[in-house]
Amino acid sequence: MSSGARSWAGLVVLLICVPAWLLLLSRPDVVTGHAHPGAAPGPHPPALAMGALPSMMMGWALMVVAMMTPLMVAPVRHVLERSLKRRRARSAMLFVAGHGAAWMAAGAVLLAAMLALRHVAVQPWLALAVVGVIALAWQCSPARQRCMNRSRHHPELAAFGTAADRDALRFGATHGAWCVGSCWALMLFPLALPQGHFAAMVVVTLVLVSERLEAPRPPSWRLRVPTKLLRIAVAQTRMRWFRARPSGARRNPSGRADP
Amino acid sequence: MAKKDASAVARGAPKAKLAPPRNARAPTAATRQSGGPGGAAPYVRASAWSNGGTFDNPALLWYAKGVGVMQSRALDDPSSWWFFAAIHGQVVAEQGFPGWGYIPGPPQVPTTPLPPKNVRDLYWDQCQHQSWYFAPWHRGYLVALEAQIRAAIVGLGGPSTWALPYWNYFGPGTEYEIPPAFTQLTLPDGTPNPLYVKARYGPNFDGNVFIPIPPASQACEANNVYTGTSPVTPPPGFGGPATGFSHDGSTSGNLENNPHNLVHVDVGGNSPDWSVFGLMSDPDTAGLDPIFYLHHANIDRMWAAWNANGNSNPTDPNWLNGPASVGEREFVMPMPDGSSWVYTPAQVTALSQMDYTYDDLSLTVPIQPPEKILAKRLMKLGAVPAASGARAAATLGKKEDSELVGTRDGALPVTSSGARATVKLDPKVHRKVAASLAAASPSAPPDRVYLKLENVRGARDAHKLNVYVNHQLAGTVALFGVRRASKKDGKHAGEGITFVLDITNIVDTLHLDGTLKAGSLDVRIVPTNAVPDDAGISVGRVSVYRQGFR
Repeated sequence: MSSGARSWAGLVVLLICVPAWLLLLSRPDVVTGHAHPGAAPGPHPPALAMGALPSMMMGWALMVVAMMTPLMVAPVRHVLERSLKRRRARSAMLFVAGHGAAWMAAGAVLLAAMLALRHVAVQPWLALAVVGVIALAWQCSPARQRCMNRSRHHPELAAFGTAADRDALRFGATHGAWCVGSCWALMLFPLALPQGHFAAMVVVTLVLVSERLEAPRPPSWRLRVPTKLLRIAVAQTRMRWFRARPSGARRNPSGRADP
Repeated sequence: MAKKDASAVARGAPKAKLAPPRNARAPTAATRQSGGPGGAAPYVRASAWSNGGTFDNPALLWYAKGVGVMQSRALDDPSSWWFFAAIHGQVVAEQGFPGWGYIPGPPQVPTTPLPPKNVRDLYWDQCQHQSWYFAPWHRGYLVALEAQIRAAIVGLGGPSTWALPYWNYFGPGTEYEIPPAFTQLTLPDGTPNPLYVKARYGPNFDGNVFIPIPPASQACEANNVYTGTSPVTPPPGFGGPATGFSHDGSTSGNLENNPHNLVHVDVGGNSPDWSVFGLMSDPDTAGLDPIFYLHHANIDRMWAAWNANGNSNPTDPNWLNGPASVGEREFVMPMPDGSSWVYTPAQVTALSQMDYTYDDLSLTVPIQPPEKILAKRLMKLGAVPAASGARAAATLGKKEDSELVGTRDGALPVTSSGARATVKLDPKVHRKVAASLAAASPSAPPDRVYLKLENVRGARDAHKLNVYVNHQLAGTVALFGVRRASKKDGKHAGEGITFVLDITNIVDTLHLDGTLKAGSLDVRIVPTNAVPDDAGISVGRVSVYRQGFR
């Protein structure tokens, strides 16, 4: 695949998430399901609470499309490069389908848990606090680092026939599963907020993209502060807009002036 | 900004900051005879085989003494031999070999005291491989090591003009053998020789260290593209692939592949009882062997020769500004005066910027210009090349069209008896290749075809694999770097390393013989030595790609 085609592939993947973001901007409550009475904070009959689940699942699907799509650029490129040209679109769609299926399955569980938490935590801040503590602990855990490492793994893919379909779908599903492991706690954060959901989703997306750009690391307990996206933005801005000299520009050990 | 003492950082001094300020003047500038920045005569790196490669060569004798001084320093001293080796790569704390505590001496490799974590994070494990930063990072690494050795030599009363020798294994006579100074147990004064290393077993694992030529070659010097591909440059290019914002892709550049990787594995080898492998065989131990720096001086010399032959380095700001431009660590080296030198590829891209040069940049085999290479190919395929057409076509490559032709799906284990794979070719793409060969002309360069051993994984790097396509040798790959690239929690996310072999010549022959129509290719992988069970070598997928040029 040429470098131009790689760039186009990345652009197409990113453009897919634009309509989802626009919908979320116009209807931020679609993700919280607060339009349904059972989803509002406070004690509800279980049947009423769980009745909010289907509408929340639709909102969850929108969230996944908007927030997870940027993380799929690299694996989709891998699928395209390792596939026969005539199969590229098919394999890419199978990958996306597998990925989406993993997230929707996870969503059913996570949203049910969120509804249960709202049922128990009468005050919205209490639900937010619980989610916050869980998210922070998970964020720092070696298990999460392991999930992140595995999500960067791009496996070999069969090129022909049903084996190719199977591998693309399986790659999508396993990649999705490791993504869920990496991101589930942060994805709950916008849902737990009483307001400001769209802004929270934007922030969480930037955090997840920044983390995904980091290299795999040995799993350990570590407070992770994702700054890579910011570092890239600062460096690229300096390079391209201010035509800054390369960093560390000094005389080299010879004493010779740099060009 | 005040100059920060890197040693103070190492000692964990109060108020020590994570990133020492940038260095000021180089410590060696004051000792330069001609004086003055920009006007000083460069140090001259000469062949290690001068005076027979023995300690009659003063550069080698002083190198040995300088190494001895650096080896006398502690692990946490930024000017120690061990610290410098860890800058390249290290497994200081790993249990079991290749953990540094399990390396059979000499040398006796220390594992304590560890530098503070902030110092390790700043300096250690920097080496750039499978990346377009491979050449410039190693250039700066050598400059820093050379400065440290020179400072140690001057401290012993030796020459301030000392420069790092290079081992040109492509040189005349027996220069493909390791210089004898590295095989002596003692120096001329009877003291232990710091250049001697026990864990250095050679290509036949018998302690006889030499470079088999071929398969090591200077063929990469015929490339005309640093990053990318062209009708005379197999992907990913002479210098390596652009490593951007993410870490996908694990393919070595052509210089790195051959001769760099082959020499590492040839020198290191495995111990006869398979209990350990040679230090040079693995990136996490290679910097401990003093021959490493002479090998890399030759690689650096080959890069300089490639530039001297009219080939350009990248001008992409992401290359010039180094990995910091894509959010990664900067290149930083500790200097003898205690400061740290932060550098970018822009500062080391040309030999003329450096404080050294080479006594000889010539290559021992003639490198044909791209237009001649293409003209020969066109003649072989029966197309009559016009001189100007061939020249223009040889520089094509701005609009390349690369696609998969066929694969052998599924993991392929490689044992002592090797492995065999039938690569099935997609009929439509296969016809595209054949049509391009049939219609070859100067204005329509024929497709190039590459065999890829994708996601090669293993637990030992000290192996070379001969790869044959339809019984014709496609090339030899060395597994340098595969062990750590196979670690699931490592930088490569367990994907191993992908090797690219140019099989264009073979495919041309099959096309002319009429056997390309078969619809598949027979690929055989034959290790050059036995492969122990615990090596666990496997190829994730064998694939064939075509590359078209418009």
